[in-house]
Amino acid sequence: MPSSLEHAAAPAAVLSELAFQRLYDTNATSIHSYLLAVSARRDVADDLLQETFCRLLLHPKSTAHLDTLELRRYLFRIATNLLRDRHRSGDTTPFADPPEPTTHPSLDNTIDIRTMLQHLKPRDRELLWLAYVEGMDHTEISQATGLNRLSVRTLLFRARNKAKQFLTPARASL
Amino acid sequence: MTPHDQSPNPTNPAPNDDQLRRVFRTYAAALSAEHTPPPATAILFRAERRRRRAAIQRAERPLLIMQTLGVLSAVFAAAWLLYRFAPHTFPTLNSTTLALSIACTTLVLAGCWTMLRASRPSA
Repeated sequence: MPSSLEHAAAPAAVLSELAFQRLYDTNATSIHSYLLAVSARRDVADDLLQETFCRLLLHPKSTAHLDTLELRRYLFRIATNLLRDRHRSGDTTPFADPPEPTTHPSLDNTIDIRTMLQHLKPRDRELLWLAYVEGMDHTEISQATGLNRLSVRTLLFRARNKAKQFLTPARASL
Repeated sequence: MTPHDQSPNPTNPAPNDDQLRRVFRTYAAALSAEHTPPPATAILFRAERRRRRAAIQRAERPLLIMQTLGVLSAVFAAAWLLYRFAPHTFPTLNSTTLALSIACTTLVLAGCWTMLRASRPSA
């Protein structure tokens, strides 16, 4: 490759390989689970995860000033936007290849969370995941999803109610 | 409730927030254990490939602009020559103007051909 092309590509390489590896090790698993839960397809989750980190690598200047937590929210924002783009493009065949975990090491193992997720809208799945799994508050969710903070509050309330309707603990039925 | 029920179950009490959180986290832990993300090297490779493609596109952009300009110039030159040499409006053209016209057209066409050759991807 000509040296001018190498030079043109140089600014994008601000994030060193080691720093990227560290960032990836810290965040990849949680973002991958998020993508799996919302898209319910392993192939899509793998692809969108790669695309999420690719975008981060290709636009290092926009993330240079972010701290670790902000960077994490930024990654979730990219992932959420990619999920929505995919949804808008019409490629929405959810649960075609459902990510079905084999072990549930708690008493809640009979609660069919997959059925619940299947019946929720993608946005509800996003909000519930960010709130309950990632432990984000309304402000953080609004930053991670691009929604208004007050809207997050209302939408999360509705999503939570829908989820509760679909989830029935086995203990309650015994 | 069976896994394929479409409607909520109104007879059983709904879980509270803590239960919901626990359910989600258990599911997340199981998902993480079951499905590992692709290796970081795959992403680095993908980013590097895309970066190189973008760099090539950036480098080729002036060439593409010049190529378009060249084609447009050639078309205009041809149109102008046709207009000048059309039989019905064929004014007498002195030798200097004719030589200049031919030289300009040749240069433009040669430039276009060179750029087309240069922009062709190497095998």
